[in-house]
Amino acid sequence: MNLTRRNLLKTGAAALGSALSANAAAIHLPKGKADACIFLWLGGGAAHIDTFDPKRHGDGKLKAGSYYDSIGTAIHGARVCEHLKHSAPLMDRCAIVRSVTHTIKGEHAAAANLLHTGRTPSGTLQYPSIGSIVSHQLGSKSEEVPAYVVMGYPNITRDPGFLGAKHGYIYLTQIETGPNGLVRPPDVDNAREDRRETLLSKMREGFTKRNPKDEAIQGQAEVSRQGFKLASPKFLNVFDLQRESSTLRESYGGEFGQRCLLARRLVQSGVRFVEVSFNLNFLNGSGWDTHNDGQVKQHLLIQDLDKAFATLLQDLEKNKLLDTTLVVIATEFGRPAEFDSGGGRGHQSEAFSMVLAGGGLQTGRVVGATDDLGLAILERPVSVPDFHATIHCALGIDPGNVMHAGDRPVPVTDHGKPLMELFS
Amino acid sequence: MAQDKPDGKTVVVDLFEDVPAGAEFQVQALKPVATYSEPAFAFVHTPTKFAPNAIPLDRSAPFILRAGYKRKLPAGEYQFRLRARGAAVFQLDGKDLLNTKAQKPNTTGDDPVPPPVDHSDPLVRPLQYPHQDSVMKVKLDGTEHNFTLIAVIGGKGLYPSPGELSVSFAHPGEVDRLLGPDGSATLTDTDWDKYVAASDQRHRQDDLVRRRQASAEVVAAWEARHEKIRAALKMSPGLAVPNVQPGTPAYNDIDRFLGQKLEKTQTAPSPLTADLEFLRRVSLDLTGLIPTPAEITAYLATPAKTRRAKAVDRLLESPSWADHWVAYWQDVLAENPGILKPDLNNTGPFRWWLHQSFTDQLPFDRIAAELIDMEGSQTLGAPAAFSQATLNDAPYAAKADIIAQAFLGQKLQCARCHDAPFHPFKQKDLFSLSAMLAGKPVKLPSTSTVPVVEGGRRPMVTIALKAGESIAPEWPFKTLVEHSETAALPEKGSVPSRHEVAAYVISPENERFAQVAVNRIWKHYMGLGIVEPADDWTRGKPSHPELLAYLSREFMMSGYDIKALARLIVSSHAYQRKPVGNGSDQMSAETRIFAGPVHRNMTAEQLVDSMHLAAGKEFECEDMNLNPAGDRPAKQFLNMGKPTRGWQMTALSNERDRPALALPIAQSIVDVMSTFGWRQSRQNPATTRDDAPSPMQTLILANGVLGTRMVRLSDDSAYTELALRSIPAEELVKETFLKVMSRPPSTDESSTFVSLLKPYYQSRKVKGAESVITKRQSDNRVSWSNHLSAEATLIRMEEERKLRMGDQPTKRLTTEFRERYEDALWAMINSPEFVMVP
Repeated sequence: MNLTRRNLLKTGAAALGSALSANAAAIHLPKGKADACIFLWLGGGAAHIDTFDPKRHGDGKLKAGSYYDSIGTAIHGARVCEHLKHSAPLMDRCAIVRSVTHTIKGEHAAAANLLHTGRTPSGTLQYPSIGSIVSHQLGSKSEEVPAYVVMGYPNITRDPGFLGAKHGYIYLTQIETGPNGLVRPPDVDNAREDRRETLLSKMREGFTKRNPKDEAIQGQAEVSRQGFKLASPKFLNVFDLQRESSTLRESYGGEFGQRCLLARRLVQSGVRFVEVSFNLNFLNGSGWDTHNDGQVKQHLLIQDLDKAFATLLQDLEKNKLLDTTLVVIATEFGRPAEFDSGGGRGHQSEAFSMVLAGGGLQTGRVVGATDDLGLAILERPVSVPDFHATIHCALGIDPGNVMHAGDRPVPVTDHGKPLMELFS
Repeated sequence: MAQDKPDGKTVVVDLFEDVPAGAEFQVQALKPVATYSEPAFAFVHTPTKFAPNAIPLDRSAPFILRAGYKRKLPAGEYQFRLRARGAAVFQLDGKDLLNTKAQKPNTTGDDPVPPPVDHSDPLVRPLQYPHQDSVMKVKLDGTEHNFTLIAVIGGKGLYPSPGELSVSFAHPGEVDRLLGPDGSATLTDTDWDKYVAASDQRHRQDDLVRRRQASAEVVAAWEARHEKIRAALKMSPGLAVPNVQPGTPAYNDIDRFLGQKLEKTQTAPSPLTADLEFLRRVSLDLTGLIPTPAEITAYLATPAKTRRAKAVDRLLESPSWADHWVAYWQDVLAENPGILKPDLNNTGPFRWWLHQSFTDQLPFDRIAAELIDMEGSQTLGAPAAFSQATLNDAPYAAKADIIAQAFLGQKLQCARCHDAPFHPFKQKDLFSLSAMLAGKPVKLPSTSTVPVVEGGRRPMVTIALKAGESIAPEWPFKTLVEHSETAALPEKGSVPSRHEVAAYVISPENERFAQVAVNRIWKHYMGLGIVEPADDWTRGKPSHPELLAYLSREFMMSGYDIKALARLIVSSHAYQRKPVGNGSDQMSAETRIFAGPVHRNMTAEQLVDSMHLAAGKEFECEDMNLNPAGDRPAKQFLNMGKPTRGWQMTALSNERDRPALALPIAQSIVDVMSTFGWRQSRQNPATTRDDAPSPMQTLILANGVLGTRMVRLSDDSAYTELALRSIPAEELVKETFLKVMSRPPSTDESSTFVSLLKPYYQSRKVKGAESVITKRQSDNRVSWSNHLSAEATLIRMEEERKLRMGDQPTKRLTTEFRERYEDALWAMINSPEFVMVP
């Protein structure tokens, strides 16, 4: 056997990787059957007690508590906020995780980074986002479809980190603009595009002919040709929501709903991971970061979420995609039951809720519980790595799988253990 | 700096620091810390304060600006206007005439957006949010008057800049004119923009002069040190330069050192680049920019024998020399500023200090030592900014790793959590160096270890240290250098053990320091290092040990002068040869021959800078600042100014994902740069970028907003001007090729492009149409303080929408012609040849 140094490094790294990873030998890891994930991001920190973990009614001033009444759901004994009335009957397709916990509550960016990467920055490498990890682990379904799409602003927390640009995302900031870089400039019609590509191919062929033996040049020319494949009319049609019935479009609701509809179309076309940002903070003047008077109109956000989420679940179900598509409602932290001096709420990372739906999970249950006011976890604390491990397992990814940053092995999650009760 | 005497031609300005609270306007008896002059009563910049080693320092918060001026004004009625963001008072003959209120620090993002600025009044520039006007009418008697302005700049919770501080005056109904000598600028939008641009340039030049004056002694001390090193080196004979066979090309000794291996392996050196190929490559390598048509013409007009050397001389003196190097060191040193409440392992913006260091051509050992000492201002871009690592529980471990990689080729990153399995480093090495930088023992954080899971497998890595264990300061690299002489350093450091690290690192006994630097610079120009990986010397051997030794000696003899080394390398035949392969087959020392440089593509910075240069367009980017109101402290909201080059871009920090925090133009530039390997977040050091060609690169350039703007024939486009020249179509095509591709078109290309344009060429000019240049201006009413409002959101979304339409097309060219010429430009910029360094 030829034991080169390179090979030694490889085997060493792999062995080291498994040693560094979750105690793979000790537990049997479930392997879910989902092949795509829609990650609904409630940036700002959605108040769990005003959404999926309702408590006694507070008064918006001195008396701590939920801001709304609660209603029953399809999960026996579980209640949610009254503004989630369309989703409540569908909660049997969901698992409400009420005991997510971490320690970063001061800063949005740091907490959002944790919720996307599952790690805190170390300064030795930049960790990839969960979307990039899924792209890396599962790959694209076809050459003509990207693995990872973001509807929201590009930022570090969504980046591929050490996995590199090929596991980055295509993004759009508004539905009407279409995917950045894929859509032609508004003044370039088909005729111009044809003219451009003809001229470009002249330039390209001249260059390659002048340098017939230069592999780097031939390679660069090939990449130039490939690029235009990704912007195929077939894929761009996915972004055209007019192809859906107006009834369906309307039932999804506003901009966030339309994004959810697009997410379904993207998943249908073969995209692995779609992050949909709910960043329409103008609805209530603060988005989910409901300090001060952001609280007053928070119900508008909840109603928007409700309409979109409920329609998405039903739409996926109708298209027979719900079992293979995991839908996640995620946020960077929750908010305390007490009100601030302006009638809103501060940040709380000790205990908050996130939701998992579909994806072939054993849904229709509540995981974990918090105390009377949702301030502390009473049972089943779930760390961010655990939550990520659950997403990965649902997608058939072993959370202990090793990725490589150079020769350094980095497991998919930082010792995350999946929520076993959600797997049969 | 020189004391300016009132001469009636300039306004004399004094700055005061540490003025007691409550007595901000009582500065008469105080001694100013700086005195300088301005052309008129408008103050948008203040001089940077420099330490004796030219490092930028913070002024006290707040500091006081006093401006005084004496002049006669004809008798009559005047209206005086004081415009300020914070507290200021304007005095006429010692009596308060006008005053503005102190600015309140902001605490939330819930404020309303102020009403739109009304640009309809032609007499005065609209008041910029959140400035205040204080206006008063007075009658003057025609005698000489004393005018004094005292203004409080910055303060607790505020950004330390004057904003748009000014005093102007007008006869009733007339235009406001800045107070100052006759002929001072008016307070109108056009004049103001010009005044600010001139002030910007003047202050930058003044800063340069002052920091060089301030640091003359330090410069001399470094020269003395280098003289000693030179003398010591001269005591030992240099390396014998090998002889090469007559057929082996040699421009200088580099080629002779390389020649042996070429001969031994019977490898034919790659052929010499053509003259224009060389010019494009060397321009990109030394300045980060493609050559301009004027430079190409001058180059071709120079005798063939000397034209390459002359071009190198010119390029080495270009101010862009610094721009191009900053980008490289930002990566290597993990410069990672955040413009919004930094908390993702962010540093401060030490880019500005890097830039001034390369502009001033500082010796490389001085740059390393000053970086390691980490002194100066954290927010104005001094090395202290390097010391920051927000939300990192072992900040000095991160710095130790960066310093060791950057200057010693010792990669310690694995030692963060355990003894390195593939390197001869123990975890203790990293943390004892970390303790030296911290200036005290450091405790191992619980996150910097590998948990042993009960029932799990025993880790294969050795975990020698326990969480919570205290590690004492100790130099870990005794095998590289045993002695440090801090006393021999030309500068002092305020943290003794940190200063000792600097002494060890740059010690002339430490051969590794010069070798690592030389290898990095070599790799920068040749695409591959003599040692690979260039940041991890325990894993690679030098492919040409004698060449490495020779270059190191030359480098030390030159006084660690990067420019001298660059000149040596680019003057070699080896550098001037055509590129060969991409280097993937030359990663082991044995296979590295340097038959030519390896193929490289333009870096992200070279690409965006060159596209702007060729199009003659400015970045037109928003300020890298999310708090234009200035009502937050600099540490929370850095103001990194308006970028003019790629390296000045920064992560846009919209982790909150809020539309009102978007900077659309900056985003369009960042979109291109990050697709081409630029890292918006530099959480860790990197010597080689992940910038392999990808289909997304093709797409973002072809369809993205920036690419669209670059080829758009607007009235501020240099291509538009070119197309309007009265030259034949053939000439336009040739000139365009020179501008974009740095070469004339081939016969084929010429006929393709000429036949595209010819049918529309004669009639291309639209008679009577005028040039309309509208600069994009970000609405600076939106600031952190009001970004949560619906209006702020709508303003930015509208800017985003407008931007997507691209720049306003010129009306001076017919649409048929314009679109075809734009398509021609598009094809050139998107051609594979454009991004490849020849």
